[in-house]
Amino acid sequence: MLFWVIAAILTLGASLAVLLPLAGGGKGASTSSDHDLEVYRDQLAELERDAARGLIQPAEAEEARAEIARRILRLGSAGQADASGTRQPSTMVRLVATAAVLAVPLLSWGVYSQLGSPDFPSQPLAERLAKNPADSSVDELVARAEAHLAANPSDGRGWDVLAPIYLRLQRYSDAVTAYRNAIRFGGDTAAREAGLGEAIANVAGGIVTADAQSAFEQALKLDPANPKASFYLAMALAQEGRLPEATAAWQKMLTLLPPDSPWHGAVEQALAEAGNRSVAAGKPTKGPDAAAVDAASSMSPQDRQAMIDTMVAGLDQKLRENPRDTEGWMRLIRSYAVLGKAKEARDALHRGIAVFGADSEEAKKFTAFAASLGLTATE
Amino acid sequence: MVETGHFALVLAFVLSLVQTLVPLIGARTGNQRLMAVGGPVTVTGFALTALSFAALAGAYASSDFSVASVWENSHSLQPLIYKITGTWGNHEGSMLLWVLILTFFGALVAAFGSNLPATLRANVLAVQGAIGATFFLFILATSNPFTRLNPAPIEGRDLNPILQDLGLAIHPPFLYLGYVGFSICFSFSVAALIEGRIDASWARWVRPWTLVAWMFLTGGIAMGSYWAYYELGWGGFWFWDPVENASFMPWLAGTALLHSAIVMEKRSALKIWTLLLAILTFSLSLLGTFLVRSGVLTSVHAFATDPTRGVFILCILTLFIGGSLALFALRAPRLTAGGLFHPISREGALVLNNLFLTTATATVLVGTLYPLAVEALSGGKISVGAPFFNLTFGPLMLPLLVVVPFGPLLAWKRGDVFAVAQRLMAAFAAALLAMLVTGLFIDGASVFAALGVGLAFWLVCGALTDLAVKSGFGNVAPSIMLRRFAGLPRSVFGTALAHLGLGLTVLGIVGTLCFGTEKILSMHAGESVELSGHTLRFEGLYPAQGPNYSEDRGRFSLIGADGGIAAEITSAKRFFPVRQMTTTESGIETLGFSQLYLSLGDEGTDGSVVVRLWWKPLVTLIWGGAFVMMAGAAMSLLDRRLRVGAPSRRRKPAATMPSAGVP
Repeated sequence: MLFWVIAAILTLGASLAVLLPLAGGGKGASTSSDHDLEVYRDQLAELERDAARGLIQPAEAEEARAEIARRILRLGSAGQADASGTRQPSTMVRLVATAAVLAVPLLSWGVYSQLGSPDFPSQPLAERLAKNPADSSVDELVARAEAHLAANPSDGRGWDVLAPIYLRLQRYSDAVTAYRNAIRFGGDTAAREAGLGEAIANVAGGIVTADAQSAFEQALKLDPANPKASFYLAMALAQEGRLPEATAAWQKMLTLLPPDSPWHGAVEQALAEAGNRSVAAGKPTKGPDAAAVDAASSMSPQDRQAMIDTMVAGLDQKLRENPRDTEGWMRLIRSYAVLGKAKEARDALHRGIAVFGADSEEAKKFTAFAASLGLTATE
Repeated sequence: MVETGHFALVLAFVLSLVQTLVPLIGARTGNQRLMAVGGPVTVTGFALTALSFAALAGAYASSDFSVASVWENSHSLQPLIYKITGTWGNHEGSMLLWVLILTFFGALVAAFGSNLPATLRANVLAVQGAIGATFFLFILATSNPFTRLNPAPIEGRDLNPILQDLGLAIHPPFLYLGYVGFSICFSFSVAALIEGRIDASWARWVRPWTLVAWMFLTGGIAMGSYWAYYELGWGGFWFWDPVENASFMPWLAGTALLHSAIVMEKRSALKIWTLLLAILTFSLSLLGTFLVRSGVLTSVHAFATDPTRGVFILCILTLFIGGSLALFALRAPRLTAGGLFHPISREGALVLNNLFLTTATATVLVGTLYPLAVEALSGGKISVGAPFFNLTFGPLMLPLLVVVPFGPLLAWKRGDVFAVAQRLMAAFAAALLAMLVTGLFIDGASVFAALGVGLAFWLVCGALTDLAVKSGFGNVAPSIMLRRFAGLPRSVFGTALAHLGLGLTVLGIVGTLCFGTEKILSMHAGESVELSGHTLRFEGLYPAQGPNYSEDRGRFSLIGADGGIAAEITSAKRFFPVRQMTTTESGIETLGFSQLYLSLGDEGTDGSVVVRLWWKPLVTLIWGGAFVMMAGAAMSLLDRRLRVGAPSRRRKPAATMPSAGVP
């Protein structure tokens, strides 16, 4: 309601700005020639000053004086012609005035009604977070928990609750931070380490990176039967192209899993894919404990391949924009290598080397890394 | 509040349409009432735009993520200052800032233009209104900052980390004040063309606006350059990047305009040329806006690319540049030419300046647009970089810089080069001495270094000579000289300061390019390195946590002559988790006019860190010179001559004069 009142007042003010000058009498304005004359007089005065300071020679000054005088004379004759022109108020003028005054309210309300959302109030963040929790959305509850943890960062239980929610909301890097904090303040457990690994892998677009691997290994050290860690470590093998080993690991998992474990489905699917040789870089098969629907597992192999390609292309793009990212280059090289695109992988290797210079530390690292994937810099 | 801002924006758009049409019709029919509408409507339009901008800034400050642009470019954890500067750190908000400044300048003309001829004023406001209307339409149609999101997200996507810097608070507003300031010169030119006559007071009105716009553009470019220097971590101050060129071209053309407007004002000569230059300068500003905003060029400035925007801006560009040039072709023959002068004279010198500057502008334009044209026509990507500009722009600038000190000393109408050369003997001797000292004692190998230093001294001493000669140094008693010095017109000081600033900038550039040293090495904590006589010790890397980033700070100690720690320098690598971006915060220690600059590279596996070190002698003079130039412009603005041109002058106090309202 308040908005409409303000809008009405603004419209009124704008209309008045048009209306008042139209209603007022036209003041007798000075003609242009008056202005010109004043300028010429000043030019003359300045000429004298310049001549006194020696900035212009006497002969030239005389010439300039004559020039200005001629302009003044010309002005006199033009001024008379100017004065003879008369002004007449016409119906056309009245028409223009009416149209202008009407246009302000009509056009503005017309355009605004197309563009605006007048009934949608402002939502400053502080106000939204102060609301009754029962009215809040999931996002707002998460934000509230974040505010609590920002104030009490050592609340390990709080991080524990928040971390899987982040994973589910696909806020993977937040999930990494949350799991790290949960480990730091709540202690090392297999579930937390495995969660951390999963979060890191998700940040990397589904690729089980070295960091993720070490987290999973830590989880297995704490609980050798942790299914998530075993599953992802096998996935890492598959991503490196060591399919037989991956298959063996998954098969071993199947025998060890309790019969009612929710991981059966995921493992069987992974095995089926490994059999098809299309366990490529990975869309992370999310743990079946995640409530979110696992989009990837219900995808056809073609769709999944397309998704992987998109992710790798995204990483490639990111590196073009922000090339000084050693980890990123290695991930890209590995991704292409795993996808069987040797040409692209070699291209990525060259580009990475070009960024840091051929004899930099990074370049040596890249070359060694590529060699470990069976790639050489040249054909 | 958000919707109020949205409504105010729509209302401002409608008012700009009224502002375009009604005064224009009034001026054509000679109706005083219709012409009188221009003033109040312009001022009201500015007030509404300001309200709209304030509403958007309020939404940013309070993290109202129901506004799409806030959600895309802000984060609740950002410090308040960056939340507010984020208002114009994105496409939509920066366009709103653009029209805010446009309507602000329009309102200044309306408020302080009561002493302009009525039809000229009406036409100027109408043209200004037309520019405003198209940009309002552009904003509402393609980049509305008030687009809402329902339901509102709980957290934003963060401002681009490179923009989370104080530079963003200053650089864009200054640059826009410069770009948009030239719109006033453009409006005056088009108004004169519409009327078919140039009033004598025209130049007096255009010159202060040119000065204001030029002053802010100088500041904006200098700020942008310094920002790139310390934020990007590469140690360079100018990259001939197309985006930089986009702001540099209006500056070059504006500098030419500034000088030709002097001739026009003093001698009523070069009228038509000045008009054309004013049109070209603003056209280049529009072109700059187009290049940067349309996403044709990818850079930190191209916030979001959307083809409809590019097409829209291209239409605006065609409309204004094409339209005004067509009008020029139509009307220019009707305008009368002005005073006469000999080739060797102050006028001649200013024409020479204009020739060089416009050619240089054309060079930069070619270098900027050629790669785009090649890409559009053949699809191939080429890049035109520093080598091209060094080979073309450099040789053009060199002779211009050499003749700069002659200009202010030449007499009007007919000058005497030999007399001037005699007066410049001292400056020439100083330059020669500087060259010799450079060549013999500092760097004998580089001819360029000696020549560059000599040129810089030549400019600085030439500017001082100008002041000395005009106050009668050597001819009159010291007491009279002092009195004369104090009595010199402010514009003389302005000229001298601007030329002196130019010399300082040249000195800074030459110093940095020729005497700078650079080292890249991998350092462990506790190691020391020496660079150009300065010893730096790396103390180690320390992690730290910022409000919305985490960083690794590398601490360095500058070891003084006595072995103690003379200064601490910190360089950091910041990681912003929301955007997954890393930025480099360079560590800079200013010693005199020179700077020690270092930035962190990647960490090695053995705990070492790659460190890039630069010793940049005299580097601060580059930007210091720009500020001296700005001071010169400000000084010129205070000159009494600029306040003349109104018949009511003797009846009204100075407060109603045009330049009094100029910020």
